[in-house]
Amino acid sequence: MRGHGFLLANYVPGNSLVHRAPLGLKFLLVFGCGLASFIIQDWSISTAVLAVLCGLFLVTGAGLKRLWGAVRPLAAVLLVIGLFQWWQLGAPTAARIVLNILICVVAASLLTATTPVQKLLDGVVKAATPFKRFGADPERFALTIGIMLRSIPYIAGTFADVRDSARARGLERNPRALILPVFITSVAFARQTGEALAARGLGEAED
Amino acid sequence: MPAVTFDQVTVAVETDNSPDPKVLLDAVNLRLTERRVGVIGANGSGKSTLLRLVNGLIQPTRGTVEVDGDNTVSAVRRVRRNVGFVFTDPLSQLVMPTGREDVELSLRRSVKNGTERRNQADAALQRLGLLHLADQSIYELSGGERQLMALAAVLAVNPKVLVLDEPSTLLDLRNRELLRRTLAGLDQQIIMSTHDLDLALEMDRVLVIENGQVAFDGAPADAVAAYRTLCLDGLHTTEPSPR
Repeated sequence: MRGHGFLLANYVPGNSLVHRAPLGLKFLLVFGCGLASFIIQDWSISTAVLAVLCGLFLVTGAGLKRLWGAVRPLAAVLLVIGLFQWWQLGAPTAARIVLNILICVVAASLLTATTPVQKLLDGVVKAATPFKRFGADPERFALTIGIMLRSIPYIAGTFADVRDSARARGLERNPRALILPVFITSVAFARQTGEALAARGLGEAED
Repeated sequence: MPAVTFDQVTVAVETDNSPDPKVLLDAVNLRLTERRVGVIGANGSGKSTLLRLVNGLIQPTRGTVEVDGDNTVSAVRRVRRNVGFVFTDPLSQLVMPTGREDVELSLRRSVKNGTERRNQADAALQRLGLLHLADQSIYELSGGERQLMALAAVLAVNPKVLVLDEPSTLLDLRNRELLRRTLAGLDQQIIMSTHDLDLALEMDRVLVIENGQVAFDGAPADAVAAYRTLCLDGLHTTEPSPR
């Protein structure tokens, strides 16, 4: 089973400015970039924001290879989106949309590359603690985020395996031969993960 | 050693193909107090069902299972704190991107301080000689390293009983040996299903499961002999007739 098609960068130990920045600030950066992707209407501003984020990513020492690794799985989708939008709305809009998606991916990768997962989870627990009075379990919030980070590469790896199997059987042009096995494997993975969490007593309400 | 007891335990599940429930385990009575208990049997014989009952992952349809006096249904949380479970495929068990993070996840409930949690996680990894792999993505580890990482995550919370469901099935000879040596050095009571008969021979007691029942229960050498006989008998009855 392959797990290389990773949309977000793994944590890279370091002591850069971004590593040392408070977690809340990094959360705000990701949130702000997500929000900005709806607001920015000029592709040149999108380019500038993306350039700054890429610069920050490289400052962390995570390297170009990891940056490309975070973007690469999206390349084909972005190409399709870009071409479609170009045809429908013209080149500037297509460029803006593609660049804005990249801004979100790079910002999220910046957060995950400079923050250990446990610190990220502690941050989520802290942020979700006020909701405890409404019956929410902050640890479950954190666990959900953690599992999401872990599941993305698994499902991407499953897709790569299924695509190879389909190719080997000459079915690479059959969408059913690609989508159905990925769906079934993903459901099985979710069940196994649930079972593993239950076996470890994780995700249960606090005593 | 804690005692794991099965009292008239039956597990049955509904199936689409038959109006009657399918019986996975049938009125099993056991009291396991030995340090190393092996469970062998054919695929689909009921080994995994038996093991999952110990951790409360499956509840008995009839009868009761107790671990150190705790019922696996009414006291399931306490049971899960005392019983660690290692699955066949470590990839379905490791739920965090790196080994260290997964071990820390195990400790989140019991150790609230982040620094202390990290120290304890590192100590757990160090015990199994895995500290140098702590920050590696779980996808970059070999099968054996992943299995040991999953074991470290379970052992970090110091369970009294360790249940392993065919832990060596996906491992090559070298990693199997590594796992065997690691398990031999543990203090916990171990209940393990396996198809590795050499490993089964190292246990203190071995159960042979066949069609949801304990077909043999006793010394490892006798159990393995009984299992071989069962398998060969099965082969004779399904042998194709000569043309």
